[in-house]
Amino acid sequence: MRSFLLPRDGLVLFLNDLSKKLELIAPVMMEGEPVFVTWSGEKLALDSENPLASPVEFFLPQEEVLFRYVQYSGRYTFEEEEPRPRMIFGMRPCDLKAVEVLDRIFGSDHLYVDRRRSTVIAVLNCITPGEGCFCAQLGIGPGSEEGYDLLFTEVEDGYLVEPGSPAGTLVLRDYADLFTEARPHHLAEKKMKLDMAEEAVRRLGPQISIPLIEEAIEEAPWEEIGERCLRCGGCSFVCPVCHCFNVVDRGVPDGERLRCRDSCIFSGFARMANDINPRMSQGERLRNWYKNKFVYLPERTGLVGCVGCGRCSRVCLGPIDRKGLLKEVGI
Amino acid sequence: MEKILTTCPYCGCGCGMFLHVEDGQVVGSSPSTSHPLSRGRLCVKGWLAHDFIHHPDRLRSPLIRDDDRQIKATWEDALSLVSRRMKEIMETFGPDSLAVLTSAKGTNEENYLLMKLARAVLKTNNVDHVARLCHAPSVTGLSAALGSGAMTNPHRSLISADVVLVTGSNTTEQHPLAASCIMEAKSRGAKLIVVDPRTTGIARLADLHLVPEVGSDVAWTNGMVKVIIDEGLFDQEFIEKRTEGFGLLEEAVSGYTPELVEKISGIPAVDLRRAAVAFGSAERGSIVYAMGTTQHANGTENVLALANLALVTGNLGREGTGIYPLRGHQNVQGACDMGALPDLYPGYQPVSDAGVREKFEKAWGASLPHRPGLTAMEIMEAAEEGRVRGIYISGENPMLSYPDQDRVRKSLEFLAVAEIFPTETTALADVVLPVASFAEKDGTFTSTERRVQRVRKAIDPVGGSRSEGEVAVELMNRLGLESGYSRPEEVMEEIARLVPIYGGIGYPRLGAGGIFWPCPDSGHPATEILHQDSFSIGRARFHPTAHQDLKRDEEYPFVLITGRCLFHFHTGTMTRRTPLLEREKPRPKIEINPRDAEKICIGCGRMVVVESKDHRLTVEAEIIPDVPPKTVFMPFHFREAPANLLTSQRLDPRSKIPALKRTPVRITRV
Repeated sequence: MRSFLLPRDGLVLFLNDLSKKLELIAPVMMEGEPVFVTWSGEKLALDSENPLASPVEFFLPQEEVLFRYVQYSGRYTFEEEEPRPRMIFGMRPCDLKAVEVLDRIFGSDHLYVDRRRSTVIAVLNCITPGEGCFCAQLGIGPGSEEGYDLLFTEVEDGYLVEPGSPAGTLVLRDYADLFTEARPHHLAEKKMKLDMAEEAVRRLGPQISIPLIEEAIEEAPWEEIGERCLRCGGCSFVCPVCHCFNVVDRGVPDGERLRCRDSCIFSGFARMANDINPRMSQGERLRNWYKNKFVYLPERTGLVGCVGCGRCSRVCLGPIDRKGLLKEVGI
Repeated sequence: MEKILTTCPYCGCGCGMFLHVEDGQVVGSSPSTSHPLSRGRLCVKGWLAHDFIHHPDRLRSPLIRDDDRQIKATWEDALSLVSRRMKEIMETFGPDSLAVLTSAKGTNEENYLLMKLARAVLKTNNVDHVARLCHAPSVTGLSAALGSGAMTNPHRSLISADVVLVTGSNTTEQHPLAASCIMEAKSRGAKLIVVDPRTTGIARLADLHLVPEVGSDVAWTNGMVKVIIDEGLFDQEFIEKRTEGFGLLEEAVSGYTPELVEKISGIPAVDLRRAAVAFGSAERGSIVYAMGTTQHANGTENVLALANLALVTGNLGREGTGIYPLRGHQNVQGACDMGALPDLYPGYQPVSDAGVREKFEKAWGASLPHRPGLTAMEIMEAAEEGRVRGIYISGENPMLSYPDQDRVRKSLEFLAVAEIFPTETTALADVVLPVASFAEKDGTFTSTERRVQRVRKAIDPVGGSRSEGEVAVELMNRLGLESGYSRPEEVMEEIARLVPIYGGIGYPRLGAGGIFWPCPDSGHPATEILHQDSFSIGRARFHPTAHQDLKRDEEYPFVLITGRCLFHFHTGTMTRRTPLLEREKPRPKIEINPRDAEKICIGCGRMVVVESKDHRLTVEAEIIPDVPPKTVFMPFHFREAPANLLTSQRLDPRSKIPALKRTPVRITRV
């Protein structure tokens, strides 16, 4: 595949024009912290930590209305929202991997698929990983190799841009005047920067590996860890792979049927009639959360359900070592 | 999608969060990573705080009572009816026949405006709010002892404590971010002592959990102080230089031997000694408490006893030390700061001080009433007796949150309620005004750690609702006081001019982390830790406290404790409309110890009748060892089994808080 160079000052021109044609989602600084929002010319937050709220929410919203109902008249209105054309710019390789996992789970969910199809994903390779990251140990980052429409890597002369899909190629074709052909030294620079980033990530958690995490899941003192869990649900709510939802009706007699996010760390998630619960304790529920990521999802999808983004550690209210669980078992 | 940084509307922690907005709808939320307390974290209620905003039950237009129905009305009709009726009552029966209950859920600006409406327009000091039911004893007790009723240090200061004493606080469920700081301290090596009749989440994490008889707080606290004095663990230098009345304290606690305390409270003498020695020997000790301490007929004494413990060990004015009264609402601190109290103007300036009154009269261009007003509970009592005839309630649900609700039902001539959802209280109102939620207005909240922070408007008010502040301004105008405010920011500017502790607070200075008061001027760096070099009253004062006899009633042998659970907030107006929270805790249960359950022959899931002297209700039993024998616990969120129907009306004589935590009840099988 050909690769291109976008000079540093060309980026805003490129995004500016695109943002007139579609909704451009990008990370910007809001009151001092990076968040993904609809971009309208704000200063981009490209060299800060990956935003805490993953851009996966543009495919799997926190809540969405399935239909509205008026019970007395028996009227049900299905409002099929036309998916809006979007480009997510600045998604990191870890989040892209999460999208790959979700594609295998929601492949026949039309709400997901419609949004996915109408969105161009422009990934930014991670050359400034955060403290909690362990993508390299899971073989996921800090660079993306596939699955993106466009791949950006910051280099000395600007951005190295590599299309990864027909959609990506088409976007670039419209802006041929902004891009030049990349030179071999740009590719070499990319490799060097990613090698350095990978080394930095490995240094932060040299012992982390999937087999060790699997071992830790079996050995962790779950009941004791469960006591420290404050049941906020944050680990599930920020995980870009976590996708469990609940379907609820909001409003009686008239209202709306919603699909909204849920988490298996809550006791009500698996509770059955008469308060019988297959996972009675918080420890068992946390164990299930890990098992799902490292055992059940790989069995079902062929992909690990953890992308090493480290967000669960960043949001954990209890002092629980989320990052691979290893400290909990003294590895 | 836009993301707007604002402040969580639930507990007093005051976490920073983003609201995610798409096409004018709030579609999600996420924590702020730069907020100094949240640091990217929230509790479950915070993660779901946006969920109720667009609920179809939201009140969308004003309602006016017509016989037994409430009929949709225009704002014009509703507001002119409210102002006309208020005026009539004021003119016929005098200003003190009116009362205003403001809301700890409203912003500072709104509380200020409602307080001003009561005082400058309705000419009454009958203004109060829900703090009366939570931390009135802290305001009374800590002001007397230390000169300020607020939390002395920010939550984060707990992280550097060597010993944390938690009492009467279900911290992990009610103030999860505070609990998180305590857990961080513990993982640093700090000792955690929990004194609580219930085995709560924080008690399970404790190094030492003492289980006292409900209401024996003064006894065990005095016992600890005695051990600390006897063992020579007191801070001589601190006591000499910064306190007065130590002699009186020494004398008052001298009888509280651990053995006597064991008899009163059931805490083994050896455990009490261990706790006292651990707390007394700590370089930095912190005391965290909440409703379990205050909601008693001797609530103020309980607070004073804890203040004595902090003073005797010199644990004030430094990082890692301090007293932490955890406040339940996100802006109950602010509502107090804004003078939504019958005896205090904003900034705790006494109504009885003629100089202060003149200052406000001049600023507002109105004469102000001299006599301090009635407290929330006294307002209800006066309404029953016909002394108060008209009440304006903004964002409170006393029908479910106040004790012995039956009396509140008594007829009033006029009741206006401003709310976001229909509640047990709006059902009784003559006029219902639909108001905006936290996502729909600008302003500030002051968290339990005295942090004044921005609330930012994310969307326009839902339906035909208006902000409580806008409604207050409109009523002021209609009742003859042209206020001239056009934005909440102007209200804060006025507050800064009139309230010394807020003197330096203005919107431009309130970034992501807010500012702590006291902050007297715009150049002041704000005060994170109170009482560092001196107390505002000069020397802190020891107040001798004495245990009052606790008798178990033979006819009503159980003690009922009421409280909250992790997944709901107060009367559930918001949380019970949040599907995930409602699923986690869909119905009320009374917690009963297995030993008692065996005696009354009930199993989990059985319905029981709970009877207090005057009332009874039926509720499902949960058999659980987390409550000690002869003690039962019930949350007060549920209208299906309203725990406050049973609770006692006995008031603490000093702070007028009702004794919600110790109601004698009888339990029988259905």
